[in-house]
Amino acid sequence: MAARRVAVTGIGVVSPLGNSLPEFHRALAEGRPGIRRLPDEVARGSGVQVGATVQWNPAPLLKEGEAGNIDRVSQFAIGAASQALAASRLDLAAADRTRIGVSWGTGMGGAHSVDASYLQLYGKGEPRVRPLTVVMAMNNAAGSNVAVRHGLRGPFANFSTACSSSAMALGEAMRTILAGRADAMVAGGAEALLTPGTLAAWQALRTLAPADAGDPAASCKPFDKRRSGLVLGEGAAAFVLEEEDRARARGATIHAFITGYGNSCDAVHMSRPDRDGQIRAMHEALNESGIAPQEVGYINAHGTATSVGDLVEAEAINAVFDGAPVRVSSTKSLHGHLLGGAGALEFAVALLALEEGLLAPTAFLEQPDPACALNHVALKAERIAPPRAVMSNSFAFGGSNVVLVAQRD
Amino acid sequence: MDTLTRIKRLAEKEFTIDPGKLDASASLESLGIDSLSFIEFMFKVEEEFGVAVSDDDLKGIKTLADLERHVASALAAAGKA
Repeated sequence: MAARRVAVTGIGVVSPLGNSLPEFHRALAEGRPGIRRLPDEVARGSGVQVGATVQWNPAPLLKEGEAGNIDRVSQFAIGAASQALAASRLDLAAADRTRIGVSWGTGMGGAHSVDASYLQLYGKGEPRVRPLTVVMAMNNAAGSNVAVRHGLRGPFANFSTACSSSAMALGEAMRTILAGRADAMVAGGAEALLTPGTLAAWQALRTLAPADAGDPAASCKPFDKRRSGLVLGEGAAAFVLEEEDRARARGATIHAFITGYGNSCDAVHMSRPDRDGQIRAMHEALNESGIAPQEVGYINAHGTATSVGDLVEAEAINAVFDGAPVRVSSTKSLHGHLLGGAGALEFAVALLALEEGLLAPTAFLEQPDPACALNHVALKAERIAPPRAVMSNSFAFGGSNVVLVAQRD
Repeated sequence: MDTLTRIKRLAEKEFTIDPGKLDASASLESLGIDSLSFIEFMFKVEEEFGVAVSDDDLKGIKTLADLERHVASALAAAGKA
């Protein structure tokens, strides 16, 4: 009997590049950035100049009263998950929903609700905060809202490992299905933390890019000599993952198979990345997939555009792909860094390469840093023959490294 | 606008209830309003009217009409009615 495999049968996206998969694909293909100067009411004295914001209207997905009681991060999660489920054409009404679970990732959870409560208490001097603060702000609220919305009563998990959160959610969802604990999982991640309090904390880290003097949309320049830091973004991406035989039996469209999940911890520093930890995660994902490095046609790099981060990742990729110069891009140059939502959103970028051979670019990479010598997809999208496999890297503060490998067949 | 009408307006928005079905004497449960939702709603009612309903009083509120009586008496006590 062939080993169980996990198919991707639905994809949903809420992003700075648009709130549907076709819009997202179009912006990637055109290299159209979603980074912009942050409005004053968002930046509010934090000093942060640019961000990648989602143009979001909760209607018609959520009624007015509902939207007021669900944090922005959970709204994004509901939006992306609902798209993914609709696209999968999974008949939830007829399905055994105790066999369908949710595996979600987010770094900060309901940051807007936390910020609003602190503003109420410390800013306005009010004695009380709204009663829903806890259930809106808690880290698992986004995933739980997805489960409640669709009545998904199978295994539930929420991962919060900063920038690898949603990649981990996808990898662990794959494992949950492989272990036979669920027939299908809605897996993904979301982040919505562009609030004054969170922005101030990030600004204090001195790791955010200032606005590009000529063009604020071009402020994030991964692997470029001129790179000056990351640009925070917000959004969500969700996937319907299903056991292959069940997906085939119902005639589902299969976009890809998640075949490899590498997970390692640097265990050396809270923020400084470690080459060896990244290498181990890439090796683990390749080994689980049972493929050689040269079968990987594209890597969506973590590539945050920090000085050290890009350098270490380039070294790690070159160590693993020695002699097999794989195509690499960091699309954070376009959609910003979604932190807990990054792994999921960028997995969707990798799947675009896998399915259509469309390689989304590292935008604005005009002066590649020789210290980050990679086979870049620079400036403009490229079309290649769809490769057999693709990889997506997500490396986090705290030293968590997650690597996903997907294959076409 | 009287107190009950203002409370009903808030409830319509908060719970997306058809105004025609918002019977002030119906139990909150029968209107599909659970305890967590009601506590959040109370917070908004208190903000709207600038009054506070005590935890003890809260326990006695089973309908929107009960709520209106408590708000009205709180307003009277505060000299706002």
